[in-house]
Amino acid sequence: MIQRLLPFATLIVLFVSLCFVPNFLSETNLSSVIRQTAVINIMALGMTMVIITSGIDLSVGAILAMGGLIGTMAMEHGQPIPVGIAVGILTGAFCGFVNGFLTTRLRINSFIVTLGTLGIIRGLTLVISNGLPVHKIPPGFSYLGEGTFIGVPFVLWVLLACGALVHFILEHTKLGRYSFAIGSNPDAAFYAGIPVSFHMTCVYAICGALTGLAGMIEASRLMTGQPTAGQGYELQAIAAVVIGGGSLRGGEGSVLGTLVGALIMGLLSNGSDLLGISPYWQQAIIGAIIILAVSVDELRKRRSV
Amino acid sequence: MLLELKSVQKRFGGVTALRNGNLSVRAGEVHLLMGENGAGKSTMMKIVAGMQGYDGGEMLFEGRPVRFNSPKEAAASGIAMVHQESLLAPHLTVGENIFLGREEAGPLGILKRSAMMERAAKLIESHGFPLKADWRVDRLSPAGRQLVEICRAIASGTSLLIFDEPTSSLSESETKEVFAIVSKLKEKGAGVIYITHRLEELRSVGDRVTVLRDGATVHTGELKDLTRAQLIQHMVGRDLGALYSRNPIPPGKPLLEIKNLNRSRLLHDISLTVRAGEIVGIAGLMGAGRTELCRAVFGIDAVESGSIAVDGQPLPLSSPRDAVAAGIALIPEDRQKTGLATQLPVGWNLTLSSLGAHSRAGVLDSAKLAATEKQYIDRLRIKTDGPSQRSARLSGGNQQKIVIAKWVAQGARVFLFDEPTRGIDVGAKTEVFEVMDSLAKQGAAILMVSSELTELIQVADRILVMRQGRISGELPGRTTQEKIMALAAFEQEEAPQ
Repeated sequence: MIQRLLPFATLIVLFVSLCFVPNFLSETNLSSVIRQTAVINIMALGMTMVIITSGIDLSVGAILAMGGLIGTMAMEHGQPIPVGIAVGILTGAFCGFVNGFLTTRLRINSFIVTLGTLGIIRGLTLVISNGLPVHKIPPGFSYLGEGTFIGVPFVLWVLLACGALVHFILEHTKLGRYSFAIGSNPDAAFYAGIPVSFHMTCVYAICGALTGLAGMIEASRLMTGQPTAGQGYELQAIAAVVIGGGSLRGGEGSVLGTLVGALIMGLLSNGSDLLGISPYWQQAIIGAIIILAVSVDELRKRRSV
Repeated sequence: MLLELKSVQKRFGGVTALRNGNLSVRAGEVHLLMGENGAGKSTMMKIVAGMQGYDGGEMLFEGRPVRFNSPKEAAASGIAMVHQESLLAPHLTVGENIFLGREEAGPLGILKRSAMMERAAKLIESHGFPLKADWRVDRLSPAGRQLVEICRAIASGTSLLIFDEPTSSLSESETKEVFAIVSKLKEKGAGVIYITHRLEELRSVGDRVTVLRDGATVHTGELKDLTRAQLIQHMVGRDLGALYSRNPIPPGKPLLEIKNLNRSRLLHDISLTVRAGEIVGIAGLMGAGRTELCRAVFGIDAVESGSIAVDGQPLPLSSPRDAVAAGIALIPEDRQKTGLATQLPVGWNLTLSSLGAHSRAGVLDSAKLAATEKQYIDRLRIKTDGPSQRSARLSGGNQQKIVIAKWVAQGARVFLFDEPTRGIDVGAKTEVFEVMDSLAKQGAAILMVSSELTELIQVADRILVMRQGRISGELPGRTTQEKIMALAAFEQEEAPQ
């Protein structure tokens, strides 16, 4: 139990120690931490579901760019902001659906499928945009990523809503229950008569939709639809899930854990910025944290079985 | 005497797999090792081949006491084992497989490729095997692979060779090929131990036989002195005990009807009917096709021909989902691998197959779920701290009850129990039988596969015996172990009078 609480404890220790760093508690800094981590965080929520089914999605970085690009292009062509956002989300959902479809129908390992779609989607993004970012976006769109609602960044509300949604799916729907069962023991799930392919495809599509939304937030923060956005984000999303107690063997993971995992990474990077630690070192530190988190988790499991 | 085992014992945790293993094998003889499933044959051979240690007794090889810590040590003494399942690297060639793990290499680990291939070719030629050293193993037939296994075993001058039921996956002509090789090895002065269930085929090659029962050697003698009836008596004859006794009810209408089911090499022309309220036992030795039958009925493996109907309605037979929708439930033999998601809570496993009935528009009804979970934990007396306990922490018997409850909650009417008491202690076995009995009394049709003849005799209303993918006969429930074994192990036309 103590070790299960380790991510939370780490977060609290990290937060408390950062309070001694000048400027950390300033409103500007805290809201910038939230804005920076929200994108990864929302992607990581979708990734949590995928990882619970013992799959992985390496293409989320590319989906983020595709969602952001198509969504902003819709606005560029005169669609209102909400429609543009919806287009971005649906684009992501479609990409996720393709991932799920290929994984389940072709029975190829999700690592390979999404490694392939990572290249395909990124390539198509560049083809569609001709490599150029979309700039003609209505100014009001910036509210999504940069606006403030009841005193806190608007993205925090979006993040909380997504977290609540994914939590609800995981804990209170058939889809969530099946996801755990599939990830925990795919044979037992199949033998229990569960439509495994259908539910796995749903999970990938939801992951894609959340990534599409993250893509719109990213586009809103930059106020451009960048075809090159999100490079390497997939690894950060996976790291957040794993630090938060998700297991790549499937059957384990939670919304709360993932949020904590993403926040730990966000605070680390913000703290190092404030302390003037080189961003090169930040990467090394995050890498070490991932290995540490997973080895502690393994130790706990070996003891409890 | 080439090999001698004196009162060898082996325990796994609390289970005694071998309590009094005695065996003596001479050079130049083929020694058959027989016994029911779980009698301790494989354990004994793994000890001889160095794959397992032993806890008591003595093992002598060529007169010297030995204790092998690894197959490598056993091989160094000249003992090798040909395994039931192929342990070859399929993408490598025959020659590479023969020398796998003991490659000849020069300095810096550079392989002496052509020298090895030449040696492999010579070895193959000297035994007249229909193989070529440069063929890839994945292109070979099961018999071909078996031959490669044999080559591997004898490559380094083996004086004792163990075959673990090598012919169960082979066709008739392939089996003859293997027997020819066994005879040849015998002529060359090697000792051969042959685990088998097919006595008749081995009359010609076998010299002596040792029979194991419940982890102890019960008979050793010349094969020619032994009649089949005597042999069967040695193999079975377990005490029935006062385990369980069931009062069958008059069966109702046919619920499960299987007609002419065929699957290449594994199932031949299987037809059977199970009525409501009936428990039908399926007996048979390892590899007789019992599990394959369950898997086919449950829609896991595709069959080539035949039909399955539940309550008169034919089934499409394409996936477990169809079977589940028709009311068929499978309680699989490997509970941990296919029956349960062991890391998940007890309650989740209980309701995994009935979530549809416990949800509206995909949203789970927590109150209803909690009620169902509690109901079945109480009804099947599952010993657990509560529905949120991890399933892995429960005992085998209680885990089995979860798997059963999962299907009862789902509303299944046809239950396929594959080895329902495997890994379960005696008290829990009776409880599992009681559950089966009450299911039958409530009108379910039950097919029960078991290797425990005594259990079949006690629980089943009638017993179908399978042998090499066929149903070789039907017996009433209160039959004898000898009769079952006669049908399970031997050619039908030679059934005892």
